[in-house]
Amino acid sequence: MGIFKGALTVRRYRVEGEIPEDFRDRYPDLLNEHAYREPMSWDIGKEAAGWCLVHNLLDTDFTDRSRWLYNHYLAFALRVDKKALPARLFKAHFDKRVAKWCEDNGKTRVPRAIKQELKEALQQEMLLQTLPSVATTEVCWNVVDGWVFFHATSESANDRFRKLFLATFGLHTEPFSPLDFLADEPDMAHALEAAGISDYRPDSAAAEGEGE
Amino acid sequence: MSKESNPALPHLSTEFFVWLWYVTDRDGGTVNLGEEAGVIEVWIDERLSFRTHDEDKARAVLTGEDAASCLEARAAMASGKVVRDLRLRLRKEEREYTFVLRGSHLDLAGVKLPDHAPDGEDELLYERMFLYEEVWFLMRALYRRFAAERTAPTWHGVTLKAIRAWVGGSRNALDSEEVDA
Repeated sequence: MGIFKGALTVRRYRVEGEIPEDFRDRYPDLLNEHAYREPMSWDIGKEAAGWCLVHNLLDTDFTDRSRWLYNHYLAFALRVDKKALPARLFKAHFDKRVAKWCEDNGKTRVPRAIKQELKEALQQEMLLQTLPSVATTEVCWNVVDGWVFFHATSESANDRFRKLFLATFGLHTEPFSPLDFLADEPDMAHALEAAGISDYRPDSAAAEGEGE
Repeated sequence: MSKESNPALPHLSTEFFVWLWYVTDRDGGTVNLGEEAGVIEVWIDERLSFRTHDEDKARAVLTGEDAASCLEARAAMASGKVVRDLRLRLRKEEREYTFVLRGSHLDLAGVKLPDHAPDGEDELLYERMFLYEEVWFLMRALYRRFAAERTAPTWHGVTLKAIRAWVGGSRNALDSEEVDA
């Protein structure tokens, strides 16, 4: 949480592009199209991602605008589910399957292709019995001022957010640069960009000469 | 219409972090941001971390009440490390904020907002976003002050010289800059 309670941990973006005047009417459908949906099947390491409401990750219907639109702020969340199998438990079950196949077929070794089939079948069985790990990360978008923040700072989470945001709204997001603070001072921004890194080491002045 | 993207070059943030640290020490935690934001209090709040120029991983993390003033912090700078992140405490009038400022995008982490208790969910969001925006507004004002100093003709001859002396441990550097300036 963060938008409604607790501390905020955010990366800020500038939203590029025109927001339609009738966004209040259009965005519910766009959010519903890209809302979180349970996948029909899972693979190892596969992620399922989509939007959900901030207050409950099981709520993925954006038809009622009052649940996510607060005047000029849009507040929603990115839900990402992932399933993983416990490696030791999987290996234990797999060894049993291999032993049973050998016994049933009077062999001492399992051919490679059969082994792969056994492995995939066991993975599917166990994935069906396994609950996913679930992560939600909040988003708050100020459509008037054209910024959005994502409530995480990891690169992978932010990359996923930006891709889904673009896919949903057709709008690019540009990560904040300190130079954005100098938008009305282009000469200063260029000078700062070109200034490079200062050497703060006390003995560096002597090395460079004091006549800088 | 799409604006041209500004690069988030690492030195744009690390130089700012050093300047913030230096200025809060030099000015005793009070910064006058003029018409833009008035007088605010700002100081380093019990955390500084350093990295080398070519990697993002923190190589030295200093915490505790004396994090900003201890010799280890200056020693890290003197060895050529750069500030990776710092925890700031800002006070504007009666409102006080703490947060960690980190990385080339100036990510904000663990932002604690002043107490607020509005009625209703809508009002709660508006108030929290107002407070978040105030943090961002104050960061903007501080950054603009930094940019003005960093691009001024006196940077190398006065400010950088004073920062080097300060990094070297000379407390007189803070006074001498005022005299030089």
